[in-house]
Amino acid sequence: MKTISVTVNGSVFEEDVPERLLLVDFLRDRLALTGTHVGCTHEGVCGACTVHLDGEAVKSCMMLAVQADGHAVTTVEGLARDDRLSALQEAFARHHGLQCGYCTPGILMNMTDFLTGNPDPSEDEIRHGLIGNLCRCTGYVHIVRAVKDAARVLRENTGGAR
Amino acid sequence: MSSVEKQAGDWLGARLTRKEDLRLVTGQGRYLADLVLPGMLHALFVRSEYAHARIKSIDASEALALPGVVAVYTGADIKDSVKPMPQSVVLPNLPARYPTFWPLATDKVKFHGEPVALIVARDKYVAEDAAELVYVDYEELPVILDPERALAADSPLVHEEDGSNEIFAMTLTGGETPEGQAENAAEVEKIFQAADVVVSERFRVHRTGITPMEPRGVLCDWNDADGLTAWITTQRPHIDRLALIDILDIPGEQVRVIAPRDQGGGFGVKAPFYRENIMIAYAARALKRPVRWVESRYESLMNVGQERDQINDLEIAASKDGKLLAVRNHGLADNGVGTTGVYWGFVMPFLGAVELPNAYTWERGDVRLRVATTNKASLTPSRAFGHFPTRFALERAIDMVAHRIGMEPAELRRRNLVPSLPYTSVTNEYYDSGDFLRVWDNLLERADLPAFRAEQAAARKQGRHLGIGFACGVELSGVASELLVPMENQPGYGAATVRLDPRGKVMVFGGDAPGGQGHETTTAQVVASLFGIDPKDVVVTTGDTGTTPFGAGSIGARAGSYFVSAVANACQELQDKITRILAHDLQIEASRQHFEFKDGEVVYLGDSSKRKTFRDIVERIIMHPINMPEGEVGGLEWTAFFEAAKPMICFNADCCIVEVDVDSGNFEIRRWVTSEDVGTLINPNIVDGQMHGAIVQGLSNAMFEEFVYDEQGQQLSADFEHYKLATAADVPDIEITYAPTPCPHTPLGTRGIGEGRPSSVPGALTNAVCDALAPFGVELTELPLRPDRVWRALQAARGERR
Repeated sequence: MKTISVTVNGSVFEEDVPERLLLVDFLRDRLALTGTHVGCTHEGVCGACTVHLDGEAVKSCMMLAVQADGHAVTTVEGLARDDRLSALQEAFARHHGLQCGYCTPGILMNMTDFLTGNPDPSEDEIRHGLIGNLCRCTGYVHIVRAVKDAARVLRENTGGAR
Repeated sequence: MSSVEKQAGDWLGARLTRKEDLRLVTGQGRYLADLVLPGMLHALFVRSEYAHARIKSIDASEALALPGVVAVYTGADIKDSVKPMPQSVVLPNLPARYPTFWPLATDKVKFHGEPVALIVARDKYVAEDAAELVYVDYEELPVILDPERALAADSPLVHEEDGSNEIFAMTLTGGETPEGQAENAAEVEKIFQAADVVVSERFRVHRTGITPMEPRGVLCDWNDADGLTAWITTQRPHIDRLALIDILDIPGEQVRVIAPRDQGGGFGVKAPFYRENIMIAYAARALKRPVRWVESRYESLMNVGQERDQINDLEIAASKDGKLLAVRNHGLADNGVGTTGVYWGFVMPFLGAVELPNAYTWERGDVRLRVATTNKASLTPSRAFGHFPTRFALERAIDMVAHRIGMEPAELRRRNLVPSLPYTSVTNEYYDSGDFLRVWDNLLERADLPAFRAEQAAARKQGRHLGIGFACGVELSGVASELLVPMENQPGYGAATVRLDPRGKVMVFGGDAPGGQGHETTTAQVVASLFGIDPKDVVVTTGDTGTTPFGAGSIGARAGSYFVSAVANACQELQDKITRILAHDLQIEASRQHFEFKDGEVVYLGDSSKRKTFRDIVERIIMHPINMPEGEVGGLEWTAFFEAAKPMICFNADCCIVEVDVDSGNFEIRRWVTSEDVGTLINPNIVDGQMHGAIVQGLSNAMFEEFVYDEQGQQLSADFEHYKLATAADVPDIEITYAPTPCPHTPLGTRGIGEGRPSSVPGALTNAVCDALAPFGVELTELPLRPDRVWRALQAARGERR
């Protein structure tokens, strides 16, 4: 057991956790943040568990909770601010960028990070940016459109603030 | 059959944003693994390390001694208190050798990954530790992996009591008797003897399928008063309920099955009744504690989502002027072990053989199938159920005929498409309605074949190899009882309860269990359209056997065909009642056709000043049932059923354009365009999305995904690093176009869509690659289609030419 202090979606949590507890299980089972999903056997391929660690997209099934000690984690539950969806969340709904929704939280987290560094991405750049996320329902077509449109909206907003 | 008039201000056809999305983009979906009950225990299956071995002994004492472990069950522990499968509720009415099995292996294990023991622990990490401490002593047996060798008389047997590895065999043409079938075969042979052109090839499609992003899971809760409540990742909760009742011998009133509202895809994989369900329910009852099992991806890839895996020896007889005359196909499917309720592995290749003839007017056909049991996971349903391999074979063979007679493949198809419907295929499949030529011509117009041929010719002069490929597919639009009763021993009708609320809201209850198809939205659009209200005032509940009428499940494109039709029928009954009472209140002689439901009001068409808001009339009927017309009582709730008199279909066609690098075998899809007849569109966004997903699944199956077993039957592809799904960077943008004909047999003209949709993809893709390589005479007959295969075929073709 180790005591860790992690800031999750803006709130500080101090918890005793076993050293082997995965970050994804810490988020889901301890903090009841079940928007972060598990789609592969902790091999980092499907991307459904993607969260932000200090603003950067990481796969939470590939990390231990103790490694998040002292860091700030954002999950899909933290994307909307003051009950307002982010531009990317809105674009996913508008463009039917999700069907079953299982992969969606991970894609939203990855693409939120992606758009920070790529404010005006081409379709090809978006498709390559999505390599770490598997989706089985959509064939990616509407996801790509949603990301592209969210980029446009963010560019049109002042300074790309989300 | 009833028909519902279309209302003005129609929500049908609107590109409405989905009702499901707000919760799903904010992490508020509730999937099975998100469900937690007080005192819940965690279950984990210990699975066989061998493909075929006798269990000599199992020692679970160390696992049981581990703190936190509550119970360990083995096959020996449960064999006397759980009925074996098969049970009739999950048994097709097709003659087959159905294996007997228990949820845990008893005497021997028959595939790598078969459940051998169940660990129940207070913590899932502890359950993992305990699994390492279960010692199983195996005696290895010879493995049976090749379906052709499995059928040899001297083959070892997967299920010894069966006396043969042939689980199923059928001749689908020539009637029911061997004499009729032989006579038909002789007639077909005569056509082949006299034909100008005969194409005869062996087509192989590897083992692959559709793997949902959410694996399976079960959460069971037991108390002695209410019995069992089981949350299951399932497409057919009502069938699962009946199976649990029968197998665990629990009185029917004590079993409730709930498919979580949010499910991470199904695609057929969540349609069977699985042995794991039985064990979790068993453990919850035995321990009187909630028990949850969440499948790992590793388990999932070892056990489910494996389909296709057929060899089809296909022959076509044709005339030199491009008339397709006869088709002969001898199929052989690798069933795997077959221990899966409802489907048993072979039901998919059975339907694949039925659907082989596709949209063409054959004079005669001779279609046969054999299915062999092997030491692999059972085939489990995957979108394009059974006919991904047969359609690949047929669509590829048609191009080969075209090449032989020197005709444009698109023209050959057009000449042989069924010109008018209804039509009954040579395998006796009924095609109810539609306009194949209209769909086809729309595709050709979008594809602009003459322009492509000019571009192709110019590119060839520069040493670049472009190719175009076509394929089409007749797909089931729902599954009529006429087919579902023999095939799966269950009814096909749709059922829906529509309940109006005194505040003017509508609640719809359906017994199917979607996994991302947007039922909540499309159903709300149908209801809103009929009642003239806003779709946001409609709430849809699915998947709970405690609150919904019996539904055969979210299978076979049943939503747009059967379910919304039942919803429409229920709405119509309620419209009738509302207008009867409103006419009485308004003191006019009028009935349903004299009123319009529009913009939240019910308006008398004879005098538009006579109107009432929808909410007010609904509240009046539910809450103030006084001064009613004679014989009328209050309340507004109706359960309706829908069954088409005959099976129904939808139709689609694909065009693919590729560029092939003839030095490396690499190929790139440059364009994918489709033409669809989905009948009346409810929500084009959702239909587009269904098509995109299905096509990419088809591409991913055809190009990347492959379940690989080694010579010992070890499953080598049980993670996503080895079982590769297409990523966004692997696949093209897709242009979906429509040439719809409303279905005359559903109240709204809708067709069910999506299920069979991947089936035409591998044919279109491979035809395009072969078209690009036409100068080399390459004809590919096997999947997966990868650069190495293309390169080898090119090398072989070049060698022959030397």
